[in-house]
Amino acid sequence: MRKLFLLILFSSLLTSAWAQVERGNVLIKNGTVLTITKGILENTDVLVKDGKISQVAKNIAAPAGVKVIDATGLYIMPGIIDAHSHIALDVINENTNAITPEVSTADAINPFQVIIYRALAGGCTVSHALHGSANSIGGQSITIKHRYGTYDPDVMKMEGAPRTIKFALGENPTSHGRRDGLQPQTRMGVEFVIRAAFTEAKAYTEKWDAYNKSKLVKGFRGAPPAYSYRYETLADILKGKIILHCHSYRADEINMMLNVCKDLGIKKLVFQHTNEGFKVAPEIAAAGAMASVFADWWQYKLEVYFSTAYNAAILVRNGVVTSINSDSPDLIRHLYHEAGKTQKYGGLNDEEALSLITINPAKQLGIENRVGSIEVGKDGDLVIFKNHPLSIYGVPQVTLVDGIVRFDREKDQADMRLFADPKEALDVTLHKSGHDHDNCMQGTEFLFGSFDSDLD
Amino acid sequence: MLTLFQSFGKALMRALLLSQFMPLVLLAQEEKELVPVSSTYAITNVNIIQSPGRRIDMGTVVVRNGLIVSVGKGIPLPPEAIIIKADSMFVYAGFIDGLTRAGVNKPKDENKDKVKDPGNPPPDRAGITPQQEVRGFLNSSDKSLEKLRNIGFTVAQVVPHGNLLPGQAALVLTGASSTDAMLLSNKSALYSELTGSGSVYPNTLLGVMAKWRELYRQASQAKLYESVYASNRAGLERPIADKTLEAFYPVIDQKMPVLFRSEKLLEIHRVFSLKKDLGFPLIIADVKEGWPIINKIKSSGAKLFLSLDLPEEIKKDKTKKEDESPTKTPAQLEKEGLEKRKTEAIANYTSQAANFYKAGMSFGFSSMSAKPKDIPSNLRRMIAAGLSEDVALASLTTVPAQFLGLSDRLGTIENGKMANLVVSDKSYFNEKAKVRYVFVDGILYTIEVKETKKTDSNAKVEIEGNWSTVAQTPQGNTEGKLTFKKTSGTYSGTISGGNLPAPVDLKEINLDGNTLSYKYHVNLGGQTLSIEVEAKVEGDGFKGTITAGQFGSFPIEGTRDPKK
Repeated sequence: MRKLFLLILFSSLLTSAWAQVERGNVLIKNGTVLTITKGILENTDVLVKDGKISQVAKNIAAPAGVKVIDATGLYIMPGIIDAHSHIALDVINENTNAITPEVSTADAINPFQVIIYRALAGGCTVSHALHGSANSIGGQSITIKHRYGTYDPDVMKMEGAPRTIKFALGENPTSHGRRDGLQPQTRMGVEFVIRAAFTEAKAYTEKWDAYNKSKLVKGFRGAPPAYSYRYETLADILKGKIILHCHSYRADEINMMLNVCKDLGIKKLVFQHTNEGFKVAPEIAAAGAMASVFADWWQYKLEVYFSTAYNAAILVRNGVVTSINSDSPDLIRHLYHEAGKTQKYGGLNDEEALSLITINPAKQLGIENRVGSIEVGKDGDLVIFKNHPLSIYGVPQVTLVDGIVRFDREKDQADMRLFADPKEALDVTLHKSGHDHDNCMQGTEFLFGSFDSDLD
Repeated sequence: MLTLFQSFGKALMRALLLSQFMPLVLLAQEEKELVPVSSTYAITNVNIIQSPGRRIDMGTVVVRNGLIVSVGKGIPLPPEAIIIKADSMFVYAGFIDGLTRAGVNKPKDENKDKVKDPGNPPPDRAGITPQQEVRGFLNSSDKSLEKLRNIGFTVAQVVPHGNLLPGQAALVLTGASSTDAMLLSNKSALYSELTGSGSVYPNTLLGVMAKWRELYRQASQAKLYESVYASNRAGLERPIADKTLEAFYPVIDQKMPVLFRSEKLLEIHRVFSLKKDLGFPLIIADVKEGWPIINKIKSSGAKLFLSLDLPEEIKKDKTKKEDESPTKTPAQLEKEGLEKRKTEAIANYTSQAANFYKAGMSFGFSSMSAKPKDIPSNLRRMIAAGLSEDVALASLTTVPAQFLGLSDRLGTIENGKMANLVVSDKSYFNEKAKVRYVFVDGILYTIEVKETKKTDSNAKVEIEGNWSTVAQTPQGNTEGKLTFKKTSGTYSGTISGGNLPAPVDLKEINLDGNTLSYKYHVNLGGQTLSIEVEAKVEGDGFKGTITAGQFGSFPIEGTRDPKK
């Protein structure tokens, strides 16, 4: 009886905690299912019940009242995951201090950004809303599900996803230090700042451990150490409760960070950007660290002068769990193209290429038991593609999150904003209505002065 | 020695100046303030709205020494009473404003030295001064208090200037003989806004949220240790005093609420996330976007003040005819769609109060971001959107009185309550109503009713002649020359200048009273763009709007060229 009561209590707590998250029931019929982890299943159905994949088989009978989507001639793949993005955030950097591990982008979620919908239109259902790279130890970050349509930022959070944090090496954190005349101003300084922070965090933990221990002694009287949100967070990294995502470009700094983490016993480490990862791929693999990279983007500043479009393939071939990320509201709309580039540069097979944007980023975020492949028991995050997703002709048709259709190409409207600004000036795009661009503004100079520059 | 001499010299100067101007100063004061002959007033023959829904027609309210002493019909008038003949006017309990900075001086920026380490600024530079009391910044002669009072507000919760944790709020009267006399209740709430300093830690929302949690937890810890220490001090380290953390103690004891300015929906969510983590009593004020989460707000237990600011309505130009051409350009369609969304958005803001009421939630109002002159019309817009007049009145009187612990003194017109009253010549929510008298703590303020200057539309306005025009576009000013001619009652004219290659004939020139309108067409690389101008003519000038099709509308001004 007591057990039953507890069970009821527990389940009611659960529902109240995540009550607003909508979960759907849907049967997708007769598609080519790209499971990622269990091969390709032709003419197969996927049944989602209460937001979870409950069956993957041929000829599943539609349960009563369940929405059916016909995917005949179409491809079904797991929702795309972006391990490095800054969408759905109002603020990205709190860069006033070299270390700010106490802050979290979870506090700045903005579920109204239309970019979220556009990401869905590109099949992306989960992203890692990372803190920026302006300081050595940035902020905690949040893994979000693209539940576009909700008015509640808490609903965007992927419930149960592990905590993550952003660190940064190289030019970004040092330029800031040089500006303010503070540490770090050099790569050596970055290493020092990180080591010093953890040393202090260790001392903090020891003080609290000693205090808590002596509190157990009867008649103990004494003052507790001062509470610090900053050191609490760093201590949690040391305890393995937080996955460390580290902004990095150069091989030397990647090596440095591997050494720092080895010394501190930090095991959960993912390198972000990792443009020179190809030079130290065996070392990254040996340390059990992972890497999240661009497909072919570099040379945008000195420290990222050296890279190669073969980077991802080299990392994969060396046994590094690798993902391809967007770090951009544009690339997040076509990560399947980005993954496809590894087939031209490095000759990855379909499964390897698709893993770069599904199960691998899921591993890097610690959510591989929930998403990243089509398996019974996983979340109903699915994309239906016309043509193979790695084909240049691949186009997402329907994107589902937790079994709820969040994007449907047929129902796509021009204005998908959740919130319209009541004070906005109604300025419409300058439609060119067919006639030549050079002429379309001719004769209006008297109205607009030098308007041409604004048009182009 | 020198400084002593200097200050002596200054004092001498001052004395000389004073003696010179003394008579003048006294005279001015005498003219300005006449002490009333009595502190007893009787408002007679007035419709008394004692509280929402409780009305006495044509009754009398007697006020003495700052208190309401009798309310009803056929009450004997005390002989010493100053009679206010309020025939068929309406009297209400004075309104209460949940959040404003009216009557609060801005602190002088004394310390603007660069902070050496932006990561560890002194608390005051980071916007963290929760120990500060707004009381120290009050100013009873602030004009903004008068503006609030003139539309019926007699009590306001005021807060210090600043961003993150500027200090503690107070409840003040909007009229008083001195700054001290303004204060009704000190330390009514701990005020906060979720905005960063913009230059030092916490710089952004991220730092602000983290700092808030850390301060609160540190304060809880310090408070606990202080109580342990107080109970037996022997052998314990002395707790170090910390004015920042101590300011949180009454909040931690649940004796003082935290008052957050939370206009935007996401701000409300973020404040709730702090409340969920830390568990303090909460007031959210100046709320503008609460409608999508009414249930969440309701179940939070927070007290709610809705903003009296509303987005402006889209002005419909009645003179312009709808474009009835069957095929619409993509630009027209897009504009129509955007306009529809905007109209719906505005409706959401306007109907917010009605929707909270329908959901069974009480709320007050706050004026923080509203212009006082817009408040009565904004209330009428809320009423037009479904809020009942009774609920609107309750939200201005009884509900905020209850929220702020003032119900025993304010909120209704009853014997023994403070004489805070509003008298308007018609029902307050009537479009033509004007507030005539306001009592604050028994002090009478008579509001001058300005007769609206009637612009004589029959006055002869003539436009014939030459004009110079300037249109302000985002790309700078564009000048032009207009010529109007009148032949047998109809106008004709041309426009030239700007970048027009040749003068263009004006079409549909109309002068209706002092409203001038005209159109003309310009060639846009084969396409014709129609330009419309509408303006008000006054003397030798006009002001109005020029609309250039899809490119938008811009202000235009004209001046008559002197006759040669």
